[in-house]
Amino acid sequence: MIASIGWHPVAASSDLPTGHVYQTQLEGQALAVWRSAEGEVNVWEDRCPHRGVRFSIGVAVGNELQCQYHAWRFASGSGACTHIPAHPTQKPAAVIRATIFPVIERGGLVWTRVAEDHSEGTVPLVRDGVVMRALPVNRPAATVEAALLAAELTGATFFVQPLAEGQSVIRGIARDEASLRTLDSALERLRRQLEADHAVI
Amino acid sequence: MLLYDNAMLPECYAVRLLSGLLGVELDLKTVDCYPGRQHREEAFLAINPLGTLPVLDTGDAFLRDWLAALVYLAARYDSSARWLPTADAGRLAAVQEWLSIARLLQSSAGAARLHDSIGMATDIERRRREAHDLLRMTEKHLWFGERGGDDWLVAGAEPTIADIALFVHVILSEEGGIARMPYPAVRRWTERLRRLPNFALMGGVFPMPALDASRTLLSETECQAASAQSATH
Repeated sequence: MIASIGWHPVAASSDLPTGHVYQTQLEGQALAVWRSAEGEVNVWEDRCPHRGVRFSIGVAVGNELQCQYHAWRFASGSGACTHIPAHPTQKPAAVIRATIFPVIERGGLVWTRVAEDHSEGTVPLVRDGVVMRALPVNRPAATVEAALLAAELTGATFFVQPLAEGQSVIRGIARDEASLRTLDSALERLRRQLEADHAVI
Repeated sequence: MLLYDNAMLPECYAVRLLSGLLGVELDLKTVDCYPGRQHREEAFLAINPLGTLPVLDTGDAFLRDWLAALVYLAARYDSSARWLPTADAGRLAAVQEWLSIARLLQSSAGAARLHDSIGMATDIERRRREAHDLLRMTEKHLWFGERGGDDWLVAGAEPTIADIALFVHVILSEEGGIARMPYPAVRRWTERLRRLPNFALMGGVFPMPALDASRTLLSETECQAASAQSATH
């Protein structure tokens, strides 16, 4: 397992088909992740600046994200509002924009950071492989990381995404396609143990 | 055909949804179950002693179970047997297995939604845990399906009534406090379904534009850039 400072994987590249807005969280920050028609990946706060509705119930249209509520559209890259249907002829004010986070796509994963601690941090160099299914676990990231280390699973590199209080997601890059299901089942067993330890009897 | 219906119930929505996809016209008779409690009145109990909705009056019989209504509509009106693969034993059994999961979602996610929306008494935390267990299982199935090129619950090029039956409870789950964020493959599957032609909506279910239609919203410059890019490949 590789611990990274500040930067965390929050989605797989394959999680972002045309038109889709992926929903996740990092350290309590709600995120909407999407890919523009030109292939640019965006990690935005999951909140339309207009009425606060989640962007992740909206839709990516070409190189813009369109909010489900009033169909305001926001540009890939800058997050700037490009179109307000109620005022089709007016150019939206420059201050209307989505809150954006930095993005690096590496090893088939989408990485970002939301902490404002000014430490630089880096995205780890990862070996090429097959991105595993993300496995949510209802336990804190530190607990999950410790359990992963103790389990000594081989054949993959693992990362733990701290979702919110008491919740995390295990992401991994497997060495090959053939081991995907075996590793997935191993992680599910690990999750059952972790959540059973915590179960309220 | 007459459907005894309520606009806010996912089980009624499933029947309306499938009839829309099949192009079958239904006459709707609204039964005000909340707050009116018409489903407990003698007139309705004479039709359905269970006191549940929907009821599909086919002209020959009253179908008192929503899953039975889906089976009936598909078997009778879909001559291609796309929605209910009656000639394929393996796929037919897989459809039935998912219909049973849909029933479990009804009693977990569905009950949680009724708890949160109209105060129905239930062990809410338990209902939510049951729903999450089912969603975890469905997520794994759909994620590995996507990798193998399968878009739907039952392997094959086309969706089946199993997709409809699960969809109506999955898409309304957040009204029962059951988040879909942990289930990305499930979220993508709900979008693929919502992009089908003639896909009916209900309150709380948001539309997804067809991908072809969304492309027309690209600006002229973007279209030129895209065509220039594709020409180089």
